[in-house]
Amino acid sequence: MHNNKKILPFIYLLPTGILLTIFMVIPIIYTFYLSFFDWNLIAPTKDFVGMRNYIEVFTDPVNQKVLMNTFFYIILLLVLNFIVPYVISLIVKFFIKRMQGAYKIIFFIPSLFSLVVGAMIFSWLLNPVSGPVAFLFRESGFVLPNWTNSGGLAIVVICLITNWKVFGYNFILLLTGLGSIPKNIVDATTIDRIPKWRMIWNIVLPMNKSIAIYVLILTIVQGLQYVFTPINVITTGGPYYGSSNVLYHTYLNAFVLYKTGNASALAITTFLIFLVLLYLEIRFVEGRSRYE
Amino acid sequence: MNRKKNALWHLPLMIIGIIALLPVVFMISNSFKTLQESYQSILSLIPNKPTTINYTTLNHQVNLARLAWNTFFMATLVTLGKLFTGLLAAYAFRYYQFKHKNLIYLLFVATIFVPFTIVMIPNYLVIAKLNLLNSVIGVALPQLCDATGIMIFLKTMEKIPGSLFDSLKIDDIPNRRIFFNIVLPILKPSIISVGAMFFINSWNEYVWPTLILKDKSSFTLPLALQNYISSEGGTNFPLAMALSSIMIVVPLIIYLIFQRYILNSISNSGLK
Amino acid sequence: MKTKYFKQFLALVGLALMAVIFAGCSSTSKTSANAVTHITYWHVNAQTQGGATVDELVKEFNKTHKNIKVTAKYNPNMYKGLMQNLQSAQASGKVPDVTQVGWAYDNYFSSNFKYMTSTDAAKKFDGNDKFITDHFTTKTLSFAKDANKKLVGLPYSLSTPVLFVNKDLLKQYNIDVKSLDTWEGVQKAAKSINEQSGKYGLYIQEPGDTWAQQAIMLSNGADIQKNGKAAFASENGEGAYKLYQEMVTDKTALHTPWAQGMDSFVKGDVAMAFTTIAQASHIKKGASFNASAIIAPHFEGHKTTVPVGGSMLAITAQDATQQKAAWEFEKFMFKTSSSVTWSKGTGYLPPTKDALESKEFKDHVSENPMLVPAVNTLDKAIPWTSFPKNGLQAEQAMIDARDKILSGSDISSTLKSAQEKINAQQ
Repeated sequence: MHNNKKILPFIYLLPTGILLTIFMVIPIIYTFYLSFFDWNLIAPTKDFVGMRNYIEVFTDPVNQKVLMNTFFYIILLLVLNFIVPYVISLIVKFFIKRMQGAYKIIFFIPSLFSLVVGAMIFSWLLNPVSGPVAFLFRESGFVLPNWTNSGGLAIVVICLITNWKVFGYNFILLLTGLGSIPKNIVDATTIDRIPKWRMIWNIVLPMNKSIAIYVLILTIVQGLQYVFTPINVITTGGPYYGSSNVLYHTYLNAFVLYKTGNASALAITTFLIFLVLLYLEIRFVEGRSRYE
Repeated sequence: MNRKKNALWHLPLMIIGIIALLPVVFMISNSFKTLQESYQSILSLIPNKPTTINYTTLNHQVNLARLAWNTFFMATLVTLGKLFTGLLAAYAFRYYQFKHKNLIYLLFVATIFVPFTIVMIPNYLVIAKLNLLNSVIGVALPQLCDATGIMIFLKTMEKIPGSLFDSLKIDDIPNRRIFFNIVLPILKPSIISVGAMFFINSWNEYVWPTLILKDKSSFTLPLALQNYISSEGGTNFPLAMALSSIMIVVPLIIYLIFQRYILNSISNSGLK
Repeated sequence: MKTKYFKQFLALVGLALMAVIFAGCSSTSKTSANAVTHITYWHVNAQTQGGATVDELVKEFNKTHKNIKVTAKYNPNMYKGLMQNLQSAQASGKVPDVTQVGWAYDNYFSSNFKYMTSTDAAKKFDGNDKFITDHFTTKTLSFAKDANKKLVGLPYSLSTPVLFVNKDLLKQYNIDVKSLDTWEGVQKAAKSINEQSGKYGLYIQEPGDTWAQQAIMLSNGADIQKNGKAAFASENGEGAYKLYQEMVTDKTALHTPWAQGMDSFVKGDVAMAFTTIAQASHIKKGASFNASAIIAPHFEGHKTTVPVGGSMLAITAQDATQQKAAWEFEKFMFKTSSSVTWSKGTGYLPPTKDALESKEFKDHVSENPMLVPAVNTLDKAIPWTSFPKNGLQAEQAMIDARDKILSGSDISSTLKSAQEKINAQQ
């Protein structure tokens, strides 16, 4: 009996454990190993090159450009996929009284769509010369900039496409978080005639901190992977790597140019960036030492 | 005055609602246009001469039933796998004490932060070695567990007081009954909402399947869409939109049926 | 005891999961019993671009050849995508038996993958190479030869770049089609249209290769390669890019990815499009203006020279029975009726002498006059430059150079550094 109790939890953890070992732990180690070699995925031999791949990650001008783009992506994703939905969820929660349910239902619909579909629709809608948006711009005397030629603008469009998809999901997450704030606290402030923005700033935001940070980090980690699809469908990283990010560039190196070593070094670098985010997640969301 | 103010707040929400829905309307309307009309009347949301030619052409060109089945099969496999492994693991974390529990839990959660690119090359080689290229099983296999599920289930289970569990243990109530009679009913909303999201995400998955599935007969719906965005022969936008419209049917049905659960318990159950 | 039922439940769920997995396995696995030889054919033809025709031909072949079963596999992202897949297939040891190889990967394919030359196949299975010499001209065969003069595969699809024009726009702004014989004339026309209407004059295709750009350089008397080394950073090469860059800078030419660029042409927002003849049927179906095609322009004082586009069929099967089946399949695909069906479905030109001369194809051309300039350009075509080592990286270097120049980089230094990069890897 006693024995049973000791072994049982591990039996329950076994399926997850096995899967994670085979498809996560070992691959990470193997990718780490590959990052020290020059290899093309098929050659029988791999050439050991020491730290060269890592040095290239930071010295090669294309890699530098891609890293900078990644940084730009993170900022934009934060604004579009975190701050905007947060503000909107606050409005829905505290400033309107009707139609809350309808907004929830409608905002969520795009998250049912594949990003391939989103990418196709938006690249057609936003075709810089002959799409409907360009047409409306022209009719009203503006010129839609040719975003396909400019890395920065292409990044903005790509982020808008992912925003279309994940906005509703993040909105719901944040809104539900707000819903768990005790109603009497909110009511009390209304009676005391404390302005709403003050109540939000001083009470709501701090109380909702852990879920907000969770969504914030998720925004970065998932967002960088989400943008992969529109990049692949619309710009393939162009013009001249202007809209590529570190994940897409890893893919390009691994499965287009077959520079497995460079790809692995890039992947490990990405992982290190994500680990910092993980640390923050543990710090703020999981709480300290849950099971001690 | 208050009313006016209220209406003002609705304005940005309405705009967002329109931005959310307009592309959907646009997709459906273009799927009923001919190629020529899609180029000519870019602004009209209602086709001049609605035609079902795109749907009949699609039906003629690709095996829709096969595509839908592949996608459905893969998504079901992934969803069941993730729910099964997730529930088991969460149960272990909630109701048992064991060594390094905290560390193991954090390691599980950490997997959310592993970028796809770092496991891409080795996993590709493993699937190739297992001879599972061109099989949706090869797509599903590395995805049968997901720490998000564990996290949400665990946090829902935490709502069940530990003392209740302990007293049941003392009374020697079997695990099975605890699980079915107490844990599962409480978990039902989160299982449904998490399961629905797993399914929908897997249904729409694109990047990993493009690496594994090369054979047309093993394609899932998002991959079949690539057929219509080839630049060399010109992109047939209305056809692609017809396929997109077909693709959305299943996620939409799931959403409509489980909408209440999805909207209310994505995080309600999960995060405090 | 108390956990017994729970365990049973788990076992049940586990079993159900396994059952689902196995059900899936058995439905996808293929049995290779009987005396039927199974071969796979890898191609790049998307559904909008002859994919249905490929399926149709394969179906017919399987019906008429009871002992061979061909399975066709579509590879996204054109020849580059196919090469990538082939490379990863090699890693898993499962290679196709017949492979459609793009001209640009001719040398790369022959020096990195195992294959059987068409000459060997013909001699081994037919006893002579009459089939090859009977059906193909020497010129066409030269496209499919690698640096060592070996016939890597049989030419399967041929294409040339042509200049598609929006005749309505040209007429409206008084442009004489004859003036479009030269790139200088095209530039002038584009400028005139742009000034009068604000529309773009020209779009030059920008896909994941530099085929069209190479055609422009070649038509200014430049070489792309000389003796296996890249040689495009010459005065003539720079001159060609100079005109292109000027047009993009002063907004008379549109610079955008291929899909968007062609959509703009078909919609009527761009007056001319320099792209592959394979776009003809899409333009015909989509455009609501009077569209026509003319021979690729050249620079003043030079002749039109274009790299041939398209692909060949190579035999990648490894064992003798499959090689034989692969050869049978190729011969079927080169029958006049198959070639013409294929050409109609894809918009490419047929590769064989008899198909080009056949009444069926001639009728097809007279119904689709846009094909005429493409057929006439075949005499001016040369093999597409293909580098033996690091072919994928070499193509990428040329794409990078194109993108940099079009966003305003110095032409001379950009071309030079791309050339050095390619040559350092050869």
